[in-house]
Amino acid sequence: MSDDNNTPNTVTVYIDDQPYQVSTDDNLLAGVLSQKLNLPYFCWHPSMGSVGACRQCAVTQYQDENDQRGRLVMACTTPVTDGMRISLKDSQSETFREQVISAMMTNHPHDCPVCAEGGECHLQDMTVMTGHSTREYKGDKRTFVNQNLGEFVGHEMNRCITCYRCVRYYKDYAGGTDFGVYGTSNKVCFGRQEEGQLESEFSGNLIEVCPTGVFTNKLFSAHYTRKWDLQSAPSICSFCSVGCNTSVGERYGSVRRVMNRYNYDINGYFLCDKGRFGIGFVNGLTRIRKTKGISPQFPNKLSRLDVSKALVHFKGKHFIGVGSARASFEANYYLQQLVGKKQFSLGYSHNEMVFAEQHQQFLKHHKAPSLAEIEQSDFVLIIDEDITQIAPRIALSVRQALRNASIEQAEKLGVPSWQDSAVRTIGGNTLSPLYLLQSKATKLDDVAEAVILQKTQDTIELLHLFTTLLQNNHELSKLSDDNVSLLNKLLAAKKPLIVGGWSHQSSALFSATIEFIAVLSKAKHTLRACLLPPEANSIGQLALMDENSLSIEQVLYKVMDTEDEIDGLILLENDFAVLNDAQLNCLKETDKTIICLDHSDNQITALADIIFPAAPITESDGHLVNYQGQIQAFYQVHPSVLPVQESWRWLSLIAKAIYPKHALAQEVDSLAELHQLFFQQDANWPLNTAANANDAKAIKAIAREPHRASGRTAKMANISVHEAKVSQSTDNYRFSMEGGDLNHATEMPFTWSPGWNSNQSIHQFQRKVAGQLTHQANAQFIDFTDIKRVIEPRTPLSEHQQCFYPQIPWHRSGLQSSLNPEFALLHQVNKVFMSSTEIAKRQLMENHWVSLELTAACTGEKRQYIAQLLLDEKLTGDLIYGDIDQLPDRIYSEVSVSIASAQQVESYQNRCQQLRQKANQDKALILEKLKVQDAYIPIRLVSGGLDNA
Amino acid sequence: MNALTHPLTHLVNLQSPLNLNEYSQQGGYLGAEKALKEYSPSQVLDIVKNSQLKGRGGAGFPTGMKWSFVPHYDESDARSQDNKYLVCNADEMEPGTFKDRLLLEGVPHQLIEAMIIAAYTIGANKAYIFLRGEYHLAAKRIESALKEAYQANWLGENIQGSEYQLDLYLHTSAGRYICGEETALINALEGKRANPRAKPPFPQVAGLFGKPTIVNNVETLSNLPHILKNGPDWFINISPNSDAGSKIYGACGRIKNPGLWELPMGVTIGEVLNTHAGGMQDGLKLKGLLPGGASTDFLLPEHLDTPMDYDSIAKAGSRLGTGGLIVLDDKNCPVAMVLNLLQFFAQESCGWCTPCRDGTPWAVEILTRIEQGKGTIDDIDSLLKLCDFMWIGKTHCALAPGAVEPLKSALTYFNDEFMQHIEHGCCPYHGAY
Repeated sequence: MSDDNNTPNTVTVYIDDQPYQVSTDDNLLAGVLSQKLNLPYFCWHPSMGSVGACRQCAVTQYQDENDQRGRLVMACTTPVTDGMRISLKDSQSETFREQVISAMMTNHPHDCPVCAEGGECHLQDMTVMTGHSTREYKGDKRTFVNQNLGEFVGHEMNRCITCYRCVRYYKDYAGGTDFGVYGTSNKVCFGRQEEGQLESEFSGNLIEVCPTGVFTNKLFSAHYTRKWDLQSAPSICSFCSVGCNTSVGERYGSVRRVMNRYNYDINGYFLCDKGRFGIGFVNGLTRIRKTKGISPQFPNKLSRLDVSKALVHFKGKHFIGVGSARASFEANYYLQQLVGKKQFSLGYSHNEMVFAEQHQQFLKHHKAPSLAEIEQSDFVLIIDEDITQIAPRIALSVRQALRNASIEQAEKLGVPSWQDSAVRTIGGNTLSPLYLLQSKATKLDDVAEAVILQKTQDTIELLHLFTTLLQNNHELSKLSDDNVSLLNKLLAAKKPLIVGGWSHQSSALFSATIEFIAVLSKAKHTLRACLLPPEANSIGQLALMDENSLSIEQVLYKVMDTEDEIDGLILLENDFAVLNDAQLNCLKETDKTIICLDHSDNQITALADIIFPAAPITESDGHLVNYQGQIQAFYQVHPSVLPVQESWRWLSLIAKAIYPKHALAQEVDSLAELHQLFFQQDANWPLNTAANANDAKAIKAIAREPHRASGRTAKMANISVHEAKVSQSTDNYRFSMEGGDLNHATEMPFTWSPGWNSNQSIHQFQRKVAGQLTHQANAQFIDFTDIKRVIEPRTPLSEHQQCFYPQIPWHRSGLQSSLNPEFALLHQVNKVFMSSTEIAKRQLMENHWVSLELTAACTGEKRQYIAQLLLDEKLTGDLIYGDIDQLPDRIYSEVSVSIASAQQVESYQNRCQQLRQKANQDKALILEKLKVQDAYIPIRLVSGGLDNA
Repeated sequence: MNALTHPLTHLVNLQSPLNLNEYSQQGGYLGAEKALKEYSPSQVLDIVKNSQLKGRGGAGFPTGMKWSFVPHYDESDARSQDNKYLVCNADEMEPGTFKDRLLLEGVPHQLIEAMIIAAYTIGANKAYIFLRGEYHLAAKRIESALKEAYQANWLGENIQGSEYQLDLYLHTSAGRYICGEETALINALEGKRANPRAKPPFPQVAGLFGKPTIVNNVETLSNLPHILKNGPDWFINISPNSDAGSKIYGACGRIKNPGLWELPMGVTIGEVLNTHAGGMQDGLKLKGLLPGGASTDFLLPEHLDTPMDYDSIAKAGSRLGTGGLIVLDDKNCPVAMVLNLLQFFAQESCGWCTPCRDGTPWAVEILTRIEQGKGTIDDIDSLLKLCDFMWIGKTHCALAPGAVEPLKSALTYFNDEFMQHIEHGCCPYHGAY
């Protein structure tokens, strides 16, 4: 639990008479596991500390070398002391550990064959480890009624061994309120008070936290395969800017699940539900698997020649390239180089460009903290950003930071931070201060010292006032009590943290935030700050931005302008979600060529003349740049089935056809070759390929499949009895069960170690438990320090007075989210929140249905919605916010609310019903298609580009 | 029976407990007055330490020493401003034990007075009586006594002009045996699950709401007014034996006169059973007994001369516990009795740690089969292993070891009966099921 991996606080501990150097920063169990010794456990979790419930990790401790008897201690609740002598192998502790398992097994149903946890079950591993192998219990087993916990998490309570990890995780760690522990004696039950969708956006971690199969991944179970039959690759979550490390598993060419991939600095042991359950988009019904606008010479086979023939008319023509923050860093860079900086757009609107530029400058001066660093904070201020939905994993880290006050109290009493229940006893409800300046309710409100609910405009003014006060050392008399204590506590804090972001699309808020941080950081050197952009590669985009970069408005202008010599657009994985209807119409009407590279149908591919099916993240090699500027690699989980291939491969074909003289118009066979090519042309290319190449040579390519993967020779026997050639990989991982030592992987495709089949095996790969990985690659960051100030920064379009603040839940943002039918099912009903005075003023009634008319600020377009009107007692004045499905814009300049007619409500409810039906049908259809696909397994899976015909 | 020989019970009136006036006229609240007006808290602490008063809840920990663990922070330390709490453990649920009920129903003001003294000593301004939910009558009587005490300014602000403030609340339990464990009690009081807490921190340092807290048993506290009034030497001298003071002993089972008696600490088991409880009912013989509630080891007729103090009972192989005898006669099945007890403990396990949660029901399963005549010789071995599995040091709290005590001692003392069940395929007492 310590933040420092290199602390010299190690002492000698004799374990079965052998001396070991063990850290005193953590408990004895962590110390033993850090030595790579086997000691079974259940209730302890490296992120959640010790409570001493399961009694599984008992060892015998001896007073001194003469003590022959010793006494049992629970390793997880025992501190490490110098010279301590323990035994793991004595019969006393061995017997007891076996008894613990056999007691747990009195009620476990032994239904391993039908359990999704089978083969990666911590309970199975621990049972074998203790030597328990015969059943002595002769009585009946207790049984429970299971609950439907919603779309994602399955529930099978009979398997429960009552380790309490789930409830400690869900309630204590993640702050969830709709999950608990009920009953006593051996009828303790974990679940919700009533059946229903789990409300926490971190519910999926229950699956990994549960040591057995009580909580399982429903999406995985629906299309199941054993862990040992999964082919996995290290990947990066493509849903938000945090860049959580994931391990994605597939079989027979379809992705089955996402698991957490441990990264000490970023996601640690936990993911959010979007990252875990959102991967279904790669199996979606609207995946693009064929080209459009290209006629192949041979049916069913596309060759390079076909592509160049199709593009031959465009040779030397002028294209504008539009990148996107969900495409890889390489693809964006490639496109920018090909079309030229002056013909390149990052895919940002003018407004976004304004604060993108500010953000770029901000990164020049401020290094954003990692999640591990965020968890060290002792004061947090969040400025008008709902991080629980926009970057949920950061909100989870902020929650942990708030515990530092209790940890400090406990340490004063000599209780170490890992003694979880003791710390919670001592700390009670003590939290480090969290201040929220915001315009709508968020899921961190319950742990905030103060929630200052106000319009963004008021927040901007407040920040200006703070800045002025700090600059002039003025009295704080102008401020309200909450604001005075905010500023005082901020200044008194040792490790304060400020978080802001892009959500409000307000450059005024953005610059006020940056200015405040700049002034404050002069007074407070320990201040850490991060600004959260919306997408997985947003910061990668910032690295490519300069004064030439075009805004979307400029792109459209050029497209419409008959004078301009633009022949077309190349859209790189950009669905132009920012366009309003009028702008979209412009594109519809243009006669210029639209070339799209994307993985799924969207409003732009519908207009495209040529479509290249781009591989989604699970079928690609590439890099994404997270909110800190850290460049992280993702790898193909399985080879894409041609003609689907990575965007950068398409770009290299496009380059050869359209820009044959361009230095980058060369054939590349792998990402490493592409990097080399970039590096030859541009010394500033930030990915140090040379170093990577050396690494790659030193390390034998790692297998994507575990040793036990079954059916290698039989997988394709329905097509041919001859053993098929293994698909060739162009990166450091092999599509095979044979490869280098997993121990040497800088990014592990999956985690497994002898005796440790579950995800708990990760501690075999950590320098010490909960520390850095033994072979963690050095983190690479984009260097923003050399970024030059744009000579004339763009001036923002006029700031709009925001009248309605939309809540955008995590499951409803961006194209990829919308492709998951399960996400659509999460939406309950439209809600709008007002203060009691506002409800009275507008002569409305709480809990009634209303009709809401919103006017988009930019276009003046009006849209109507039906919603339930709710009272937010914390609200004052005319601030209105709400959760409305399918809102196209973020900024609304007008809002009118009236009582909805019964007819309106009925038709809204019918529409909701239809949407739910559609989502359920889609869900079933996708599953059906995948199962059909399994029966007609692939086809030779080849990676590395189109064949030369 | 007078105040000097029977300090705890001489004012008990179960029909109609003394009201505040009557209680005061009988010397009530003099102890509290003395404490508040004549002594500093540390002087009271010394008096209680000197009295050698030990906890009457079952563990027998010296009360003064327990109190002395409450930290005293310098005024410069922010923690010196924190609340401290006194909690009276009136969650009397030990099977065979009903001594606290006598005090709660019979003389509630004595407890209130005692709590004033204790709270004053440890510096608590808030105190709770955590009362067993089923003690309806006690709840009613305590409520009305509390009202009187507030009216007479024995509670509230500036008590009797002493500038000391105490608020005392009655909390009736939702009812779990485990709430008798002080940290589980604290959790329940906070509105949490009644699971015992990990120790350290001990409640004296971080208890109720994370603040220093003392939890004392009803009988323990009830001694305080008398110790204050009469001095520690008097208290020590009540008992001619090694432990100080008097003790309310009880007896139940098929005896002539079940009941409760306040006697000097350390009278023999035989004296309680034969002199006060009148011996066994006609036609029955003593087979064994649990000396201090359900969670103590069996003793045999040969132990009748053992003095009922902490050390002597321990030497005989059991625990003084609550001092309430549960008597087993020769016409009742010891296996059935142990099964009954284990069913209670299995049901009352909080479900936190594995040995207790899954071990006690396992023992019940085996005992049920043995009692029904379906046991095997291996089952005895399994029971012995379970006793070892649930023993002290292996569990989170003392509940499971408490369950082991009658089971393990029964396996030793009544081995023949267990074997008869197995060999005959039925219960020798109850016949076939």
